[in-house]
Amino acid sequence: MKEFSADRLERLLDTVLKPARYTGGEMNAVCKPFSDADVTFAFCFPDSYEVGMSHLGIKILYDIINRRPWALCERVFMPWPDMADGMRRENLPLFSIESRTPLRQFDIVGFTLQYEMCYTNILEMLDLADIPLFSRDRTDGPLIIAGGPCAYNPEPLAPFIDAFQIGDGEELMVEFIECVRACKAEGLSRLETLRRLAKLDGVYVPAFYQETYNEDGTLASFTPTDPVAPARVRRRVVLDLDKAAYPESFVVPYTEAVFDRITLEIMRGCTRGCRFCQAGMLYRPVRERSLETLLKQADSLERSTGYEEISLSSLSSGDYTHLTELVCALTERYADKKVSVSLPSMRLDSIVKPSLEEAQKIRKSGLTLAPEAGTQRLRDVINKGVTEDDLVRAVTDAFESGWSTVKLYFMIGLPTETDEDLEGIGHLAQDVIGAYFSVPKNVRARGLRVTCSASSFVPKPFTPFQWFGQDTHDQIVEKQTKLRDILHKVKGVNFNYHESELSMLEACFARGDRRMGDVLYAAWKNGCRMDGWSEFLNYEGWLKAFDDCGLDPAFYANRSRGEHELLPWDFIDAGVTRAFLWREWQRAQRGEVTPDCRKGCQGCGLKRFEGVCVDR
Amino acid sequence: MKAWITFEKKPRLRHIGHLDLMRAMQRALRKSDLPICFSKGFNPHLQLTFAAPLSVGMYGLREVMEVPLEGDVTAEEVMDKLSRALPPELPCVSVRMVDDKHPAPMALLRAADFDIELLENADAMRAAVPGFLAQSEIIALRKTKKGEAPCDIRPMIYNLLVTPEGHLRAVLALCETATCKPDLLLQALSDYAGLPEKPRTLIARTQLYGKQFAPLETL
Repeated sequence: MKEFSADRLERLLDTVLKPARYTGGEMNAVCKPFSDADVTFAFCFPDSYEVGMSHLGIKILYDIINRRPWALCERVFMPWPDMADGMRRENLPLFSIESRTPLRQFDIVGFTLQYEMCYTNILEMLDLADIPLFSRDRTDGPLIIAGGPCAYNPEPLAPFIDAFQIGDGEELMVEFIECVRACKAEGLSRLETLRRLAKLDGVYVPAFYQETYNEDGTLASFTPTDPVAPARVRRRVVLDLDKAAYPESFVVPYTEAVFDRITLEIMRGCTRGCRFCQAGMLYRPVRERSLETLLKQADSLERSTGYEEISLSSLSSGDYTHLTELVCALTERYADKKVSVSLPSMRLDSIVKPSLEEAQKIRKSGLTLAPEAGTQRLRDVINKGVTEDDLVRAVTDAFESGWSTVKLYFMIGLPTETDEDLEGIGHLAQDVIGAYFSVPKNVRARGLRVTCSASSFVPKPFTPFQWFGQDTHDQIVEKQTKLRDILHKVKGVNFNYHESELSMLEACFARGDRRMGDVLYAAWKNGCRMDGWSEFLNYEGWLKAFDDCGLDPAFYANRSRGEHELLPWDFIDAGVTRAFLWREWQRAQRGEVTPDCRKGCQGCGLKRFEGVCVDR
Repeated sequence: MKAWITFEKKPRLRHIGHLDLMRAMQRALRKSDLPICFSKGFNPHLQLTFAAPLSVGMYGLREVMEVPLEGDVTAEEVMDKLSRALPPELPCVSVRMVDDKHPAPMALLRAADFDIELLENADAMRAAVPGFLAQSEIIALRKTKKGEAPCDIRPMIYNLLVTPEGHLRAVLALCETATCKPDLLLQALSDYAGLPEKPRTLIARTQLYGKQFAPLETL
């Protein structure tokens, strides 16, 4: 067993990159006496400090747990590889930032799953913490749990995680730690504790389920093996965001995080129904926070953090009912303190101009727009209900308001895509440049910069594209090359794209079954970690891992699934029904759009959740 | 009015760089609700100046910064509001209000006092001190923009002694015209002691000085 030593840690910190990632002591960090807490929770973010400290979910849950006098929550991030290697060399166990307590001394070690390519980091962190990786090998020590968007297909992580939390965490986390507290007080065994937890709505304990496979490798059955385990695990939904807990202060990092600012979550959910978008399906229905609540939250966060920027967060901020009022109120309120307001996630078809102009009074940032596809036909397939006119209008507004930097996001490898759709991306880029020059010289800002960014589409569970076979690596490379040539001809446009190897691996995990857990373990054994960082992606290690396990990545990534195939995540009731998703998949292939459900119920299945979905 | 704020940067924060520390101070000041001043221009920023940046890896016991404030504010009020805003690892030690015309701390700075804990080869380093100081000149290689340049650091070492705990205490020149960083001193001392490389140390800047070694914050 590794023993923690402050001396050895200090010596190591003198030799690693950015040691401030590991030293804590930040403004608003919660430091409670460890031994006083009935339940101790290590909140693990399986990526670097800078990425983790940008994430809103960790701030919300950190606050929810620490608000309870009997509970304690401390943060842990994935050490950068130099630090991870150094810790092994120095025999130092992975420790929490606040009190530098080794992870194995906590009651619960919880991972947030934001991105599939962080999974090797989970194994790396458990190993650094001296915690056995496989659930079945753990007889004592902390419960290893996980939650977050990727938990909606928990199967690739099932061998390693004791319990998953599915859905909104604000209420479930409280019930979960209360349950663990009670089990501890009663002196229940690990197994009995897990059985108690499995009874909570939204909790999935993989050990209580068994799967079988058909000869062709597809799933044959998936059944509970313990009477306490429900056949279907229902996602948790927080109904009233005004009543949901929200932190009054954020931990303010010293070393700059990717997003280092106040985040106000103005609403959760989106009903636009873009067919590629997992968040749009998983976070239904739309729940808005009231103007009053948001202004109160902004006030307390501004006072407690001293941040100079407030960012409004949601899946589609332009759809927020009181957007202009909110932006005006915030801008006015903080003008003296020079606090700027930023608006990511704006849709092209929302009325952006007044909000843009308000936000711009203080400070200006680049504008990012996501047409996603190059032609109307393909945008109809993906149900991204924006038109070329929307784009031109939005950028013209922006250029008239003094913006000159525009980023356009596209996806390649979408279902039914042809060369014409790639050509369309070139046309849209040309449109944007045309819009800039249509604004009089004395009005527009100088230095036009247009960037087109193309990511490779990854089909995700609980979307209408969950049955779609992803383009192969060769197909994607061919499309990237074509697109590069097309955009090369449009003067003044920068083009960048993502490596498709990563998208393929992402697809394997997004729709993987339990056997992908073996691949994950083999890949980690082959030295894979920090896969989301291109400098660390070890693709060879991954291919070898598939090989070692006798599994074919194409089976998971490139294979189209049939209407009746049992999917590994079917046992989770995410709200949207399989019937709705299939209907949407058929409509997509016919190029038929489905309107926003606020204009009429589309029968997605949320109405089955009592009180969740109200007709307007 | 300007507030001269003396603060401590605790050992836990020794890896925080100067720019990060400055941003943390700016945020604490914004949070404090004190009448802070912003620069004019397109990207307004909060005004504050430090007497001297503290190198990454060091902690500091009495660091000094100057913050211009609008209107009448008492030292007690600044102390109180800022103390509530700062993280526990960055406590405010004392506050003094000075006139707008008062010279900036940087302009008055002459020297700094360092406590150097020797984590390796402590005996050899300590034993080398008397002989080291007896030299009439000490040529050290100072890193400059053009590479390394030899420089006599002897006149910049105002004091160097071994403390009862066995640490080194060094008072070194720190002003616009002459600065000797502890690393330069330690490299020269370690060379003099015949060590293959500079031993690992834990360094605290314990005090900043003005003329005649008066504590900077009192000038």
